[in-house]
Amino acid sequence: MMWPEYITVAALISIGLYGVMAKKNLMKIFIALSLMETGVNLLLITIGYIPGGTAPIENGNFAKYVDPLPQALVLTAIVIGLSVTALALTLLIWYHSKTGTLEYRRGMRW
Amino acid sequence: MVTPVLMIAIPLLAAFLMPLIKKAHRYFTFSILLLNAILSVLLFAKVYNDGAIYETIAGFSPPVGIYLAVDNLSALLALIINLFATINFVTSKKDFKFSMLYLLGVTGATGIVLTGDIFNMFVFFEITAVASYALVASKKDEKAVEGSIKYMILGSVGSSFMLIGIAIIYSQLKSLNLYDIAARISSMDPKMMWLSFSFLLTGIGVEAELFPLNGWVPDAYEGASSNIASFLSFGPSKASIYAIARLLIIFSMSRTYELALYVGIATLLIGEVAAFMQKNEKRMLAYSSIGQMGLILIAFSLIKDTSYAIPAAFFIIVSHASAKSSLFLISGKKGFGGITSKYVGLAGVLSLIGMPPMAGFWGKWYLLMGIADEKMWAVAAVIIFSAVIEAIYFARYLHKNLGEGESEDLGYSIPAAVMVSVSIVMGILPLIYNMAGGVLNA
Amino acid sequence: MRKVVAIILASAFFAVLLVSFSNIQQADYGEKEYYYQNPINGSYANESVPSHYISNTKNETGAVNAVTAIVVEYRGFDTLGEVTVLFTAATGVSFLLYKTRGGKKRTEANLILKEGSKLVLPFILLTGAYIFIHGHLTPGGGFPGGAVIASGFLLMMLSYPKFFMKERAVSVTESMAGITFAFIGLLGLVFASSFLQNFLPLGDAGYILSAGIIPIIYIAIGFKVGSELSSIADKLKEVQK
Repeated sequence: MMWPEYITVAALISIGLYGVMAKKNLMKIFIALSLMETGVNLLLITIGYIPGGTAPIENGNFAKYVDPLPQALVLTAIVIGLSVTALALTLLIWYHSKTGTLEYRRGMRW
Repeated sequence: MVTPVLMIAIPLLAAFLMPLIKKAHRYFTFSILLLNAILSVLLFAKVYNDGAIYETIAGFSPPVGIYLAVDNLSALLALIINLFATINFVTSKKDFKFSMLYLLGVTGATGIVLTGDIFNMFVFFEITAVASYALVASKKDEKAVEGSIKYMILGSVGSSFMLIGIAIIYSQLKSLNLYDIAARISSMDPKMMWLSFSFLLTGIGVEAELFPLNGWVPDAYEGASSNIASFLSFGPSKASIYAIARLLIIFSMSRTYELALYVGIATLLIGEVAAFMQKNEKRMLAYSSIGQMGLILIAFSLIKDTSYAIPAAFFIIVSHASAKSSLFLISGKKGFGGITSKYVGLAGVLSLIGMPPMAGFWGKWYLLMGIADEKMWAVAAVIIFSAVIEAIYFARYLHKNLGEGESEDLGYSIPAAVMVSVSIVMGILPLIYNMAGGVLNA
Repeated sequence: MRKVVAIILASAFFAVLLVSFSNIQQADYGEKEYYYQNPINGSYANESVPSHYISNTKNETGAVNAVTAIVVEYRGFDTLGEVTVLFTAATGVSFLLYKTRGGKKRTEANLILKEGSKLVLPFILLTGAYIFIHGHLTPGGGFPGGAVIASGFLLMMLSYPKFFMKERAVSVTESMAGITFAFIGLLGLVFASSFLQNFLPLGDAGYILSAGIIPIIYIAIGFKVGSELSSIADKLKEVQK
């Protein structure tokens, strides 16, 4: 069990969640979402890590490699997060030009 | 040679090709969607005759590689999504980028239905989600952008949650293949199983419009143009409710089914009551969608108990996809001006309420039969209560719209009429039940 | 009020996460409890999925870098989807932000930045190309390489206010790269038995010309990511008022 890593992961994700729930500025909400995504990516990497393992590039000198699959998944997850962020920025530009503000006015209603 | 992967590969190739052939983009997109619909008919015929298809990708046997797992229900869902997408696309009048986004969104929804790998499912979720965010905003006014932003915020939280769920499963089983997970799930620590199930349910629930994560639904449907609202109600939401059904089968504990049942009931009640209170028409339709999604989830949560569950869910999906999409399609104008939109309005409402000649009737019929078998009278009471509320607000809706109205736009109402006819056909051919009752392999 | 509720919910969530993580064992992935079951014939294998990758990457795909082999070969379908997500986002950005070119007049950058970036640009592009061409041998690959290339264009945008990407060229590059990827996949269906399957000789692992279709796909991805990220940056820059 690697406490520092997992505590960081949990902290990043819950700070992100707090930001999404508490902030009204849309820019801050999307920053919070990015924090959450980072937390999840770190979680995946941490799951794949085994103590003493090296990067999974074969060169004959090492016996122990870390799990390569989560690293591949993180690569995908990072690109997806980036795409969503790019689209979010576009929408924010529109929102700002329509309303003149980045505050979310109507709030989260059900 | 019909292989399921073509239904994903060809539209993707077409979408990549689109910027090079800007001129004919609408015919091109239409023909690709039609091709996909035809492929899914062939695929269904093949699955129906020979049993489920498992197609490996990149030549590595799963779970090392990814595979597509297609059974009766997923072939039918792919057919529904692609057929309605084809009909709905006729109404598109925008430029080639819109066509690209639409095609990608439909492909993503098809991929969710066909794939047999949980991370691959996540990737397809993101394709549909990102395309839908852009499509919702495509009207480019304040409401559309607001709806899209709200959708995006909840959708991103949902995708993070889904990824956490996947990470927890992976940490326990070191596998991402749905079947492999289902086979070995019992070796997982029950606490972790619950956690991953709830994270995945929360994550997918955002797209599937389940309570309490459906805050985006009314805003996005209200803001989006009418054909995109229609797309949202047959595409992403149906694919994701099917994903939840697969998830339920994988985890396959009576407690998870119970949780899904409660979530379904809450979604149904809240959706219908909110629709009842709602004055704005599009928002009312959106809330009613939420209610119907709850109904589908209730049907899926009974999979283990009764053989009526799958046909019930299937008929509600067909009824909702056709009727709600067509109602959204004609919702751009005030009132039902012409005879075509009057027909669409009437038929759609009848199907949604669950009146005899329509698909919606068979859905509710099978659902109530299944519930009666299980003697869950409280659930039956909830469903009947919600049906009464539904009937009241839809009667109000018809009363308001069936009289005089703006002259109809045949470009919208004819596709809508074709869509809603699917619901009538499926209602008249209840024999189809035999086909829909195939085994649902996880 | 809103903040208090948010803090309570977030800390509850923190606790839930910690509890769930405390059950994760940092065990070796090769252990017996992780042995997988083949979904198609139901037989149990005597290895786990990650250890299959570690021990078979070299002879099944010809790549040395296991992560690359997974990204492009074993789970290549995910990568096709991932490229599509980025493509969708880039399309969405340009769909929503068209006809806004112009905007405020920007101040010129100073001489050092201008000349310096001209000097550095070829090297940045070269580094990016190096990273994606050697994806199967070294850490990196199409995505980092493409991002490096896009950063080169971003540098140009920062130092020359009038620098715009040629939209037509960018979209053609993007399309061609995407078509290459999907088309190679379909060729796999034709020449081998399944979509995205390798149909080229594997070669000697550790050399550039090895690993079958991996380098080709990674080069396509590199071009695609590079052009998409540059076009996103370009579009977002155009609307600055």
